Amino acid sequence: MRRLAVLTIIGLGWALSRPAVAASSDPVEIIRNFSDFQQVDLAQVLNGDILSERGSLMDFPNGISAQTCFFVPLPAEETAKRLQLFDPSPHAELKAFAFHALHVPCELADFQSLDFRTSQSSVRWLLDKTIATTPTKSELNLSRDEAQQIAECLQKRADAQQASECWAKLLLARASAFQQQGLAGIKPYQNEWGTVSPSDQLHAMLHEGLAVAHEFLPILKGIGLVGNDTAPALTPFYYWTLFDADYHGTIALGAVYLLPVDDHYQLADIEYYVNGSYYTSATLCEVWPIRARGKYGALVWRGDFFAAPMLRFTKGTERIAYGALMLQDIKKEIRCIQQEAKTKR
Amino acid sequence: MKTGFMAALILILPCVTSWAANSMDVSQELDMQYSYVGGARTRGPGLRSNSVDENSADVKYVVCPQLNKDLLLRLGFEWQRFSFGVPDHAAMPDTLQQASAVLGFDYQIADEWLMRMEVEPGLYSDFHDISWRDFNAPLVLGGVYLASADVQWFFGLRADVRTQYPVLPVAGVRWKLSDKWTLNLMLPNPRVEYGVNEKLKLYAGGGVEAGTYAVGENFGSDHGQPKLNGAIVDFLELRFGAGCSWRITPILTIEAEGGIMPYRDFDYFDHHIEFRSHNAPYGQIACHARF
Repeated sequence: MRRLAVLTIIGLGWALSRPAVAASSDPVEIIRNFSDFQQVDLAQVLNGDILSERGSLMDFPNGISAQTCFFVPLPAEETAKRLQLFDPSPHAELKAFAFHALHVPCELADFQSLDFRTSQSSVRWLLDKTIATTPTKSELNLSRDEAQQIAECLQKRADAQQASECWAKLLLARASAFQQQGLAGIKPYQNEWGTVSPSDQLHAMLHEGLAVAHEFLPILKGIGLVGNDTAPALTPFYYWTLFDADYHGTIALGAVYLLPVDDHYQLADIEYYVNGSYYTSATLCEVWPIRARGKYGALVWRGDFFAAPMLRFTKGTERIAYGALMLQDIKKEIRCIQQEAKTKR
Repeated sequence: MKTGFMAALILILPCVTSWAANSMDVSQELDMQYSYVGGARTRGPGLRSNSVDENSADVKYVVCPQLNKDLLLRLGFEWQRFSFGVPDHAAMPDTLQQASAVLGFDYQIADEWLMRMEVEPGLYSDFHDISWRDFNAPLVLGGVYLASADVQWFFGLRADVRTQYPVLPVAGVRWKLSDKWTLNLMLPNPRVEYGVNEKLKLYAGGGVEAGTYAVGENFGSDHGQPKLNGAIVDFLELRFGAGCSWRITPILTIEAEGGIMPYRDFDYFDHHIEFRSHNAPYGQIACHARF
């Protein structure tokens, strides 16, 4: 992993030393320069279509990515704020059972609505895996200490309410560490694949897309993903969420950063803890004001990066299919964002 | 000729393996299967309810280098053999064999559509008096519509100029009904699957074994049916059974199943001669690796 980190630093250093990709302020031209989109059909985008590109194969075996480009019929500033605070839970098709903001500093009460007492089979799955956790073995993303903590917490009473309380304490510790120390506060998982660091996974995926990393340097530096600072200089919107990932209940802790850059905005949604199904994810968005063909609103480029253990073994056509299905899910979320913007909910 | 063909494939394998060793852009598939079908009552010219049993084995290896984001080549080989316990006098082949290359590609034609074209040029015969007559190159053309993560539709076409039905369309669906249940209605092995846990799966369903083969130049004369010399025979076998699939590691799965073979047919369709077998138990083991 150290080698990977060195390569990442070298790669991002190279990206830093490159001249600016595009002097032009034309967002379409900028998108063409740093992204996988060779062409951006603005008429199509303004019409409400979502342009999409499955990411190229990464050398990093656990990683997969996708890019999208879409239009939101609201001013860029409002669009950026909506993207930062987007709550998927009212949209049934996104299968998010809960989504809650965290205070700074976060407190136990922030997690009081985490409830495993539900008939949802995927949440039941998570409860079963939580109860099955022992100090030395778990199918969930936990450190050894956390596995021991969960096992001890459920020793006397292994029911849904107790499991919710155990998870609340664990999530509070993770979120607090991240709020205080940024990326340096992310504890690695210790599972059947060995020790897995979510921040190393994030670095590795960004290293695969140097043009994107270069475009997003302002916000990545602010987060501490580039440069020497690991503590974030930006204050993000912190959240926790419980959702269904392929019939598996999954809890994630995330932080969405927003940074105005000249006439546009950059966002980065970093899932710094995911308790199962996958390791981590990053969603980068760039939002420009656009006025064209009688329409005024925001043009958004979005890049999604996922790291998951099974991707290492998902090759060939299966991986293409996986990428295509991932894009379907992303488009589903974007349509919800567009719909909310239209109805100004 | 057979030896040369196998030797060429054996020479290719190490190169491909080393090429694939450190890269995500080359994937490999290895499928192996062995089955035994007990004595089945068989009727046809010269046979009146004789018992015929069967051993069959299949090995298919394909390497898939990814040429670009949307295109993968498929290169490999397949060897399949059916051996039948046939009485000497019956004009039924005791062996049907396929030794072929696999050439094709997978391509993403649209966001939700994937396609596969695969041709298997090689020898399809009883492996007596091997000649160019035994050469065939059946083609499979397929498309997958990724409706969602839970539902995928399959459409396919099998083209083989030597068979009685040169073009055979097929369709199927894979529908994940819940975390545990999946309806996997795809040929040649339509199944209902139940996932006991992440590694163990139980299933029940059917199986189709089929192929078109040429028999030897003197096969007919040797079995009292001179018109069958060098004839083409369509082979079809149906199976119904249940089994389990165990994913030992993320790349390796083994399967074991048993059931009944209700129908088997050898059809010399050009000469209107058929042999049919009915109702015999079978057992099968298989191994699938994706790496």
